[in-house]
Amino acid sequence: MEAQSNWFRETANRELKNELSQLFLSLLPPGFTILRQIAMSSFPDPTSAVEHARSIRAEVVERMPQLLEEFEKNAVSHGAKVLWARDARETTAMILDIAKQRGINYVAKGKSMVTEEVGLNKYLAMNGIEVFETDLGEVITQQLSLPPFHIVGPAINVSPEEISAVFLKKGIIKEPTTNPIELGKAVRAYLREKFWHLDMGIVGVNMAVAETGTIINVENEGNIRLVKSSPRAVVAVMSLEKVVPTMADAIHMVRVLCRNCTGQKMSSYVSMDTGPRKFKELDGPDELFIIIVDNGRSEIYRDRQTREVLRCIRCGACLNTCPVYAKIGGYPYGFAYSGPMGQVLTPLLVGIGETSDLYRACTLCRACKLVCPAGVDHPSLLLLYRSREIEHRDGNGQSLLRRLEKVATFLASLGMSNGHVWNLGAKIMRLVLRRLAHDGYITHMPLRAKAWTDCRDLPSIPNRTFHERWKDLKGSDYTFGNRR
Amino acid sequence: MIIRSGTEGNLTMTPREEILGRMKTAEKGKAPFRPSMPPLTELALDGEQMIQRFTLELSNQTGVVHRTSGKDEVLSLLTEIASREGLKTVITAGDDVIHSLDLGAWGAAVGVKVIATKNIKDRETLREEAFTADAGITSADFAIAETGTIGMIFNEHQPRLTSIAPPIHIAIIPVERLYPIYESAIERVFKNVDDAPSQFCFITGPSSTADIQAVQFKGMHGPTKMIVIFIMGQA
Repeated sequence: MEAQSNWFRETANRELKNELSQLFLSLLPPGFTILRQIAMSSFPDPTSAVEHARSIRAEVVERMPQLLEEFEKNAVSHGAKVLWARDARETTAMILDIAKQRGINYVAKGKSMVTEEVGLNKYLAMNGIEVFETDLGEVITQQLSLPPFHIVGPAINVSPEEISAVFLKKGIIKEPTTNPIELGKAVRAYLREKFWHLDMGIVGVNMAVAETGTIINVENEGNIRLVKSSPRAVVAVMSLEKVVPTMADAIHMVRVLCRNCTGQKMSSYVSMDTGPRKFKELDGPDELFIIIVDNGRSEIYRDRQTREVLRCIRCGACLNTCPVYAKIGGYPYGFAYSGPMGQVLTPLLVGIGETSDLYRACTLCRACKLVCPAGVDHPSLLLLYRSREIEHRDGNGQSLLRRLEKVATFLASLGMSNGHVWNLGAKIMRLVLRRLAHDGYITHMPLRAKAWTDCRDLPSIPNRTFHERWKDLKGSDYTFGNRR
Repeated sequence: MIIRSGTEGNLTMTPREEILGRMKTAEKGKAPFRPSMPPLTELALDGEQMIQRFTLELSNQTGVVHRTSGKDEVLSLLTEIASREGLKTVITAGDDVIHSLDLGAWGAAVGVKVIATKNIKDRETLREEAFTADAGITSADFAIAETGTIGMIFNEHQPRLTSIAPPIHIAIIPVERLYPIYESAIERVFKNVDDAPSQFCFITGPSSTADIQAVQFKGMHGPTKMIVIFIMGQA
């Protein structure tokens, strides 16, 4: 997938004016948040359940290489073929090879974010293999070539009219309809033949259990179960951090994941595969490939601070609670990952130099950190990226902006260490700001300060400060004492 | 697309060695502490409470739960379901619970074509039968009160498609297989890791989605309806 995070501002501005997106954003994140809270309250002690989940993820991050080796050993002993891929190119080439060697014409896919990250669909299509996404939301985004709006409901904002039009064009429906259920059932009918005659399925992995070599998929639609049951060959693609130590840990993480993701206590299906089908079994794959994808993560792992990103379990709770996401939706993030989890992950995958807008589009309100069941500290990471970018920029010579920044910080520190200077500075600033105000509001500011007023107005500064007024009041008989 | 050059590492190293090596030589953090959790309240449920909880939770997912006394009641219930749902062909699979019902004879008597997977020899036939059947009738290895979930071990007696491809899934479960929480099933299924089934699945209600306009409906790619029939103990 091409990273398009450099379009952040442009897309965000467009989405702010998109009435349909705004309508969904006013309903969806709060709705998910309420469902999540209700579901979490079914734990005897929700706080300790979250803390337990966080400690599991902390252990995963700490022991990741050992856990991956243990997982590999156990998966292989059950007959799975475990392959390692350094990057996007190796991952996609590997999957194409598997398909070509087996004379596959088409593949059906269960929802997988890492295959989006490595651009699998495009690569397979370019090489003559048709790809059918099977998750309803992904079917729609695939047909419309849209990025995901939300990591859980990738097409939840798309209007039924738009879906109907593209489904008509592709022959998925014969008559136009704007009924979501009819549209969904049409996709069911359309994909049924594909599931039936499928020779190769591709799925993601929610958890890979080290102690048993089991891969776990959590889903509601049943498409992943069909993709893992019907064909002769199944390819499961996982990034390094999907591993968990034990089956008991996996079960707790399933409980936490479902509650945080869709606000369900349990998804319709949680399927756990340990190796390919056994002798005499009628279905399930003859060959189960598990591809462990690095794509930059082992490098992320080398840094103890950035390593913490790998705690993420892709539940989407941070999107639903983020005030920025709630205004702009998923499109501006420009990659497979959106919201706070995308803001902390994408810069490391794509490069801190190219994704400045991503880690700056944050008010550091900490809502994501508080809600995160995996214990990711998003605000600290975003601050880390900001500081690293500044350090990097400084290394490339002194820009005018940097010099101005230095002057500004010098003046600020001067003012903050001397009360008289501060008061003088404040007086000058008030004069300047008053000149900018019209009808009680400042709607435009010059130069770089323009960004402050681009999307909001500031109230104008009163003529006199509190201190000045207080001095006058002290002269009169108005004191706290005699007010009573 | 993000392409990271593999050539930055040692060319003679495999991707596996390179990836693991890079992580293993990284600076180590401190060992995390695992706080303990209060036990799940479901563990306190008695038998009847477990059935009630199971029924409530599965009903919330539009699933239907029946209690039967044994073979005769199961069969008359199946007859009722078959006529209400207009079942013409059903595919059946499972352990002794299913075999002892003699569904072949039942089907012949009520005019429903019954295909037992034990008579199927290959994947192609199974797929054809599973994708065209009106319902799948299976046993299940576990019922979990916590969320109205059933647990199925897939093996040569229990193919995977029987419970996911047909539009209706009917699971017949002796009540002795009802447990409070997921762990009750997991501990048994993965007790001996070498014998782990090729697939184990927790199923909670019919398949569902809310991907268009957040409108929820049942029967996306898997069953539209799910019916659980408990066979109660002799007590």
